[in-house]
Amino acid sequence: MFKVPTLLGSDPTLKNPKTKTMAKFSIAIVFTSISLLIALTHSFSIEKPTDRRILVLLDDLALKSSHSIFFNSLQARGFELDFKLSDDPKIALQRYGQHLYDGLVLFTPTTERFGGSLDVAAILDFVDSGKDLIVAADASASDLIRNIAAECGVDFDEDPSAVVIDHGSYAVSGSEGDHTLIAADDFIQSDVLLGSTIIKAPVLFKGIGHSLNPANSLVLKVLSASPSAYSANPKSKLSTPPSLTGSSISLVSVVQARNNARVVFSGSLDLFSNKFFKSPVQKAGSSNKYAKSGNEQFVTELSKWVFHERGHLKAVNVRHHRVGETDEPAIYRINDDLQYSVEIYEWSGSSWEPYIANDVQIQFYMMSPYVLKTMSTNKKGLYHASFKVPDVYGVFQFKVEYQRLGYTSLSLAKQIPVRPFRHNEYERFIPTAFPYYGASFSTMAAFFIFSFVYLYSK
Amino acid sequence: MGKSPVTSKDDAQALFHSLRSAYSATPTNLKIIDLYVLFAVFTALIQVGYMAIVGSFPFNSFLSGVLSCVGTAVLAVCLRIQVNKENKEFSDLPPERAFADFVLCNLVLHLVIMNFLG
Amino acid sequence: MAVPVDHLTKQTPASSTLRLAFGNVLAFFILLLIGVLAFSIRLFSVIKYESVIHEFDPYFNYRVTQFLTKNGIYDFWNWFDDRTWYPLGRVIGGTVYPGLTLTAGTIWKVLQSFNIPLSVETVCVFTAPVFSAFAAWATYLLTKEVKGTGAGLTAAVLLAMVPSYISRSVAGSYDNEAVAIFALIFTFYLYVKTLNTGSLFYATLNSISYFYMVCSWGGYTFIINLIPMHVLLCIVTGRYSSRLYIAYAPLVVLGTLLAALVPVVGFNAVMTSEHFASFLVFIVIHVVALAYYIKGILSPKMFKVAATLVVSVGLVICCAVVAVLVAVVASSPTKGWSGRSLSLLDPTYASKYIPIIASVSEHQPPTWPSYFMDLNVLAFLVPAGIIACFAPLSDASSFVILYLVMSVYFSGVMVRLMLVLAPAACIMSGIALSEAFDVLTRSIKFYISNLSESLQIDAGDSVPANNVSPQNEVLKNEKKEDTLKERPSRKNKKKEKENIEKPSVKSKTEKRPLVLPVEASFFALFLTVLLGGFYVVHSVWAAAEAYSAPSIVLTSHSHDGLHVFDDFREAYAWLSHNTEVDDKVASWWDYGYQTTAMANRTVIVDNNTWNNTHIATVGTAMSSPEKAAWEIFNSLDVKYVLVVFGGLVGYPSDDINKFLWMVRIGGGVFPHIKEPDYLRDGQYRIDSQATPTMLNSLMYKLSYFRFVETDGGKGYDRVRRTEIGKKHFKLTHFEEVFTTHHWMVRIYKLKPQRNRIRGKAKKSKSAKNQNPEIGHSLSKRSTGSWLTESGWSYGFG
Repeated sequence: MFKVPTLLGSDPTLKNPKTKTMAKFSIAIVFTSISLLIALTHSFSIEKPTDRRILVLLDDLALKSSHSIFFNSLQARGFELDFKLSDDPKIALQRYGQHLYDGLVLFTPTTERFGGSLDVAAILDFVDSGKDLIVAADASASDLIRNIAAECGVDFDEDPSAVVIDHGSYAVSGSEGDHTLIAADDFIQSDVLLGSTIIKAPVLFKGIGHSLNPANSLVLKVLSASPSAYSANPKSKLSTPPSLTGSSISLVSVVQARNNARVVFSGSLDLFSNKFFKSPVQKAGSSNKYAKSGNEQFVTELSKWVFHERGHLKAVNVRHHRVGETDEPAIYRINDDLQYSVEIYEWSGSSWEPYIANDVQIQFYMMSPYVLKTMSTNKKGLYHASFKVPDVYGVFQFKVEYQRLGYTSLSLAKQIPVRPFRHNEYERFIPTAFPYYGASFSTMAAFFIFSFVYLYSK
Repeated sequence: MGKSPVTSKDDAQALFHSLRSAYSATPTNLKIIDLYVLFAVFTALIQVGYMAIVGSFPFNSFLSGVLSCVGTAVLAVCLRIQVNKENKEFSDLPPERAFADFVLCNLVLHLVIMNFLG
Repeated sequence: MAVPVDHLTKQTPASSTLRLAFGNVLAFFILLLIGVLAFSIRLFSVIKYESVIHEFDPYFNYRVTQFLTKNGIYDFWNWFDDRTWYPLGRVIGGTVYPGLTLTAGTIWKVLQSFNIPLSVETVCVFTAPVFSAFAAWATYLLTKEVKGTGAGLTAAVLLAMVPSYISRSVAGSYDNEAVAIFALIFTFYLYVKTLNTGSLFYATLNSISYFYMVCSWGGYTFIINLIPMHVLLCIVTGRYSSRLYIAYAPLVVLGTLLAALVPVVGFNAVMTSEHFASFLVFIVIHVVALAYYIKGILSPKMFKVAATLVVSVGLVICCAVVAVLVAVVASSPTKGWSGRSLSLLDPTYASKYIPIIASVSEHQPPTWPSYFMDLNVLAFLVPAGIIACFAPLSDASSFVILYLVMSVYFSGVMVRLMLVLAPAACIMSGIALSEAFDVLTRSIKFYISNLSESLQIDAGDSVPANNVSPQNEVLKNEKKEDTLKERPSRKNKKKEKENIEKPSVKSKTEKRPLVLPVEASFFALFLTVLLGGFYVVHSVWAAAEAYSAPSIVLTSHSHDGLHVFDDFREAYAWLSHNTEVDDKVASWWDYGYQTTAMANRTVIVDNNTWNNTHIATVGTAMSSPEKAAWEIFNSLDVKYVLVVFGGLVGYPSDDINKFLWMVRIGGGVFPHIKEPDYLRDGQYRIDSQATPTMLNSLMYKLSYFRFVETDGGKGYDRVRRTEIGKKHFKLTHFEEVFTTHHWMVRIYKLKPQRNRIRGKAKKSKSAKNQNPEIGHSLSKRSTGSWLTESGWSYGFG
């Protein structure tokens, strides 16, 4: 029988010292459990999309030190990195339906099989549940990595021994002469993806190339090869023309899935390495010599984008009402004037900032947009528009379809019916009909007069 | 039936005279009813002419106006038939009853007209 | 001084008044019993199944009535329904005939105010039987106007039991015809009454009753064309009288006004060709009335002069007016007629131009057996009745003859209109039977009176034995009295009253009564009673077995008892409990009303079939391959697709049997769907010889998905009686979410778009390349066992 602890001292049974300590103990338990509960709820808040726990799978533990600048930059931004070897049998992304990590980094280009419960399906499931992924392939990429990439829309060159060779814009360096080390500077033009500062120095790349289907709207080429690049085996002579050539070769691509999970595919693991970060670079054929390659800036900015520290939007507080009212009606009438407003915020890495743009549009849609209007903003994240309901009745939708390069896609739809006029919402008296009104009333009057005359005449 | 124009004109005049004389023999109350009918038909014609000029936009008002005139004319003719002493079939119908029916029908008619007008 | 005595039965006026009073009371009780009979014969479905609304259309009416009772009349009048014909919506106030719902709503309101808490559903279910009792009484009134009380009672009892009317007014069949037939007969009664009495009061009532008819049913155009035709007939046959004018002219004016008040009809009351006949005859009757009036006040010579003058001048005007009218009418492609009316006039019109009208099973022409099924004995009593109406011919009887002829024609075009024929047939048969019974009983009475007279002659009475008013019309009837029915509870005194009432008297003092030999009359009486028994047995059987099926619940008898198939309600209940309120369900239009009423979900198309393009869109989606169908449904925001499949249990009205109509209707609007693509050598097949287009269509896949699992791999379709063509296949864009117990209704969900778009096809490293969602979908299925015992067949139909 659980007794609710009452005020100390008021209950006569509490005079007993034993029950007194029991009471104190139970109060303490309640208090700690409450605070624990509060703490727990805060740690899984959906309000903070920047996720903190990242699983890093490595082929070889030496990568931990050879790519330490990259890892340290991640940790400096607040991420917890969990390093594991790719064949560690204790690898698990989920336990009892709960995800253990919020992001995955695969620096395992040669691994054929992962240990533990991880495989292609589990990784794709991870992505489909909204988490982010960084995948680095290399010259001897395994089928596992190729399959993961193909499922996301990225097709690596089918020839397992082919690497990207560029005789036109290779990196000038002392040692190798087979031009597989490329200095690439064909970046995608996007402030969201690569940050607002322009990357001046080219990026060093050594690895395999991939292509993207131009009809695929979810993948983007972030770093393309130059027109003179091609993908082939450097050691053997070419018997047939290479399948991947020119700017259609993508060196680094990103995929933003429909649920806004972000994936980066890089054809080179060395892109992330300390060596490439620190080395100077000079592109063949150009006289500019840069003391530091653009790799570090490129990788840092891209990782910021992948882990949702930039370009992540949320739309909240959709409101609509008639002009002059504040309540949301359940149904509109044709030719009503209404106002629609929505608030859009962007995650800055630590807080939600108002999103400012001038191309957010609202559609009033029924099988095709009857009204299409660009919304104006008050610079504090509120977007609003006002328009007149068209002269057609039916079930309409307020649609906001916002897909801007690099940003999460916003797809809002709110259904609202539109009814025609009620029988008493028409004009009451129509001027052109006055003769008819007059005639009807005159017949009534005539009837009245007639009945008098008829009845009382002799 | 080819008659020469002169004789047909004579006939027309004779016809007209005989019609006049026959009509003036009708009792007064029937004449009052006839006047009432003429008024209603006249109003209806005016409305049709107005519609021909202006167009039929509030068609329901036009319909109710015209039909109210036509309706009163028809009902008055019915009353005339029932009250006319020359009609053998209605000789046992008291004229008060005929008038009461007439009033009832007109009430219904005007109620409907009012509803349909606006 | 002799007390006046009625010579046939030798009664004094005092006793005949008593008899009259007794006869009236008896008639009243008989009518009451007829009402009870009409009500109770329609209750079989409630007893056999439950008090539930039947079919498809009544569900829509029920839903509208629910809305009316909940929200009041103003909201109902302006109701914009956004849960049907998504995303177009439907303006209910302007497209529904409000009579039925307003009637049921009023009854419910009145009962509520008396604190009798009947639910709306109960009121709706029992509206039809109650109004069929009213219709029987209206038939009594109408036939009484034509021939007399005896004929009236006979006609009333015939109408109470006629199977054709029962089929559309059982308890639970909450459709327009339930009140419309009552309104029809009552309007006709009031018209005939006005015609007989010439009273303006009845003319007013006639217009109001016509208004009620317009509110109730689209078949009101029958009235507004039949009455002008009758007026024209009377004028042409020289039976013009001022009563005719009083009966017709106020009806046209008031009736048109009142019809225009109903939003569904609106301006169609003056603009469509269906109403032009009434206006034409209106003008004609005025011309005729004027002509008669002038004829009355002029001398004959002057009248001739007037006539020639008028004819020559009037002809010119007439031609001008007719030319204008013809030009106006001819400018519209359908000459101003609506599609359904045109298909009545030209039975081949619908199949050529409007496949939707042609596809409705109620719109097909009836077969000969259906006449005997629906009318039974009346089918050969009707000609006798026609003859009886001709002798003597009055305005009222000419009207009934015309009504019968017209309704016979229309019933031949569309089986649904057998319903309009039923009252006419009952009236005619009632007249025939009562005339025959008149003869028979008179023969017997005459024989009895002769017997008693021969006893009294000794006592010195000088009553001439043969003084009776002749009934000429009986002579002809005697020849036709082979098969006659009569109601055993009738008394002889009834005929007394009728004899007094009959206005046609040409009494001569010495005339032989027209009677039959007494043995023949006894025998004929016995035969008619027997035949009456057959009619009653047939009507009761039809009511109990043939017309009481609610079609929402199906039953079949097998060697181990009665099986009930409640799959439809199971599916709708699943939908209402397992989907979101705003989810849209796509199915063929047959099930639209039921889905909105019972599952309360938004549908894309429903039984109103007003928008052919929308229906064609759904039809095209059902006929297309999966990906194209997914695209079409996604553009309509559809979440669930519902198909009806009868192959497991042998239910013949499933979607695969209706599929060709989907193809035709879809192909009528979207030319890439071609019917020959789905037929192999002109034959519709779903077995291994079916065309690839057919095997890849969405309807085939959704119907037969996993069907082979039910009978161990054979996939034998019990309705089409073959094994299916494509047995093992997977669905790529749809996932199955529910299948009912007997596989009769199957519900599928549209798969959402994939999260990632794949690259080029890779060599499949593992079997997990396919979409992992398939494995989860099956767990949501109904867990009822679907394996049937071998050799167990469900008999339907």
